[in-house]
Amino acid sequence: MTQAAASHTAPLGAQRVLARRGAAGALPLLARVAWRNLGRRRLRTAMSAGGIAFAIFLVSVFTSLQTGVYGAWIDTATGLATGHLQVQHPAYHADPRVASTVADGAALAARIAAVPGVLDATARAEAFALVSAGERSFGALVVGVAPEKEAALFALPGRRTDGDYLPRPDSAFLGANLAANLGVGVGDEIVALGGAPEGGVAALALTVDGVFATGQAALDRSLLQVRLEALQSAFGLGDGAHRIVVVTDNGERAPALAPTIAAVLPEGVRLLDWKTLMPEIEQGIRFDRITADMIYWLLMVLVALSVVNAFLMTVFERTPEFGMLMAVGMRPNAIVGMVVLEAVGVWVLGAAAGLALCVAVVLPLQAVGFALPDNEALRAMNEQMQMPERLHPHLGGKALSQAPLVMLLGTVLAALTAALRVRRMRPVDALRAEE
Amino acid sequence: MPAASAPPRRLPVALLAQLAWRNLGRHRRRNAMLLGAIALAVAGVVLLNAMLRGMEGEVRAVVLDNLTGHVKVHAPGYLADPGIERGFDLPADWPAGLPAAATLGWAARLRVPAVLMSERETRGAELVGVDPGREGISFLGRVQVVGEALTGSQDRRLLLGRALAEHLQTEVGRRVVVVTQGADGRALEVGYRIAGVYESDFAGLEKVFVFTGAAALQRALGTTAVTEVSVRLADDAGPRQQTATAEALAAAFGGLDVYVWQELKPQAAAIVAMADFGVFIYFAVVMGALVFGLVNAMATAVMERVREMGMLRAVGMRPGAVVAQVMIECSLVMALGVALGLAVAFAAFVPFADGIDLRAFDLDKSVAQLGMRANFVPVLTAADVVLVGVLSLALGAAASLYPALRAVRIAPLVALSGGRGPLRAPRRKPRGT
Repeated sequence: MTQAAASHTAPLGAQRVLARRGAAGALPLLARVAWRNLGRRRLRTAMSAGGIAFAIFLVSVFTSLQTGVYGAWIDTATGLATGHLQVQHPAYHADPRVASTVADGAALAARIAAVPGVLDATARAEAFALVSAGERSFGALVVGVAPEKEAALFALPGRRTDGDYLPRPDSAFLGANLAANLGVGVGDEIVALGGAPEGGVAALALTVDGVFATGQAALDRSLLQVRLEALQSAFGLGDGAHRIVVVTDNGERAPALAPTIAAVLPEGVRLLDWKTLMPEIEQGIRFDRITADMIYWLLMVLVALSVVNAFLMTVFERTPEFGMLMAVGMRPNAIVGMVVLEAVGVWVLGAAAGLALCVAVVLPLQAVGFALPDNEALRAMNEQMQMPERLHPHLGGKALSQAPLVMLLGTVLAALTAALRVRRMRPVDALRAEE
Repeated sequence: MPAASAPPRRLPVALLAQLAWRNLGRHRRRNAMLLGAIALAVAGVVLLNAMLRGMEGEVRAVVLDNLTGHVKVHAPGYLADPGIERGFDLPADWPAGLPAAATLGWAARLRVPAVLMSERETRGAELVGVDPGREGISFLGRVQVVGEALTGSQDRRLLLGRALAEHLQTEVGRRVVVVTQGADGRALEVGYRIAGVYESDFAGLEKVFVFTGAAALQRALGTTAVTEVSVRLADDAGPRQQTATAEALAAAFGGLDVYVWQELKPQAAAIVAMADFGVFIYFAVVMGALVFGLVNAMATAVMERVREMGMLRAVGMRPGAVVAQVMIECSLVMALGVALGLAVAFAAFVPFADGIDLRAFDLDKSVAQLGMRANFVPVLTAADVVLVGVLSLALGAAASLYPALRAVRIAPLVALSGGRGPLRAPRRKPRGT
């Protein structure tokens, strides 16, 4: 071994210890030697750790964003009016007919509200009707609701732009576009005519007491809320309801509550979760996850490849040194272990830098949130997708652990791929490689 | 060596390229690994971008098809409050002012809100009076119809969407009552027979649009007006033709509102606009991960050749030539990687060129919300492929700068004497020299 090379390898004392104790017993020493070896090629160590940090930073930041946004997305979409779960007549979801009701809706809602994990439940009845004011007529979905519960549980009553929320038995609360099309405002009278379940015409004479605007043109043009009793009475539904809408304490986990809620339900009803009620949201989240995962994996594989390359160079350059170590009695497995520990050291540096950057970027955003640029097109997209206006990333365990653990696995595998060459080395040949 | 004995005034590029090529063969495993990483990154960027371009094309095509067209004329206030009272008459010399070259076709329609009542159910919809012969520019010209399609502008039967027919529990040949507002402002009840039921790619369209003959609807409502004129441009028409058409329409329909599709469908316009810079984002993210490995490999290639470079410098190789040699070497690897990556991207693209059925992955409703059909067709454009190639080569050259500058710092005499100089001397002789 040349003088230069000797100065860069483990001291002979250490080699004796390694030889005597074996790899397992000398782990702290191996770790120390591995750590020192990282300082020998600082640029290479920095580049490998930089790649790992880059991948961990990007993946962790975007995972935090996804974690934070998905929950808020579900809450925003279900919080307008749909709720986390609904109880319906078994045929109603596929074929919403007025006659397909659930009996004694209010009492059933009260029973469901008592289930642990359920915040509250409320009954709704609905029918499509021709809504007229003077000579103007438009079609709309008329929904009968319990105003106090709706106001407490859902966002729609809060989107009021004028008037009050269903203060009287004959109140109507309608979308701004529908009001504009009908040419009515607060205080005006309207009539809703629909088909009763038993045939014949059901009529509701209503007074416009409030107007809402959600930003979703389809809703603002075609939705009208009235009091539940008014709709039940006009359409001859008795105490029947079309939907018992359930709100739980956690939208994402609401589907898991289904079996508990199903236990208190009578025969002949169907329980649906938000994934079935709003498949576009569930699919939207899955679509986003799939495309993001493709990029994450691509990033991590690329970085792992560069780590393999870095360790191939390391092993290649240090072949004479490894030959010397084997010549003085160090086992090949201990050398492989030392190289793997060097990889772990590179990973520690990269993960620490990546996570530190991630925390520095995400924590302030988590606290204050951020809004998309105030641009008409983006706003239209947000409203159409029913996304929250302000996004708050969430720095949870998944965001902080997933990318670092995948990168640890990738780094160790990369180092092993390169270091296993050591096991095929013969000390004499390895020593000669120096010449 | 010619470069050493008589230093030329200009860089001996051919010689340097030959040297660089040979150098690549000295560490085959390392360079193969590097090549693989570059190819993976290039293929990844190209394929991700092909998906984004597919999304862009699909969203644009669907918007243009859905009765929107490229440019549209409405009476002021119609969008906020659609109705027959916000109709307008076509100019006597129409379509004289329309630039013919870029125009695929135009359609004048009468679109009013209506309520349809079958024997069993009641639903709201938009009743659209059309001239079927002009609807080759919209989805109506391509829908599958059960029963009969509308025969002309005078046809006073209805063409219903399948989803709406199901909601109304009605079928071809049955009658429905349509309640809408006449030109005199009064509610009007008209009985219609169903000529046919159409199937579109979107249940949303099937629920919303009900078609009848335009002239027949004008007669029923007591008007000669239409509520919109939609112009579809040829597929290869650019923004300039779109602006020219909008200006021509503004001149032809003085006092009316003229909209381009980006104004009518801002959500779709946002997706289309996003696609134009998506390639740069993908490139920055993916190539950002690659650049660490690239610099690493090139720096090692320089460091292990300290003695050799010292020799070249000692016999007269100029610093510029040293930089050029390293940069050419890096660019060669990059060029090979780009070629391989593009080949991989093409190979991966071909099986999906006809489209991916998103229903198989249960993702059709999610993309429908973005305005896309279930058969998703990725799009590979030559311009994007060239852009990725050029950007990659530029990145390769940039990434080689630091290692190349390190190579320049090698002091010839120190390197030759085996000393460490400004850089460490190699501990072993490079293979192949």
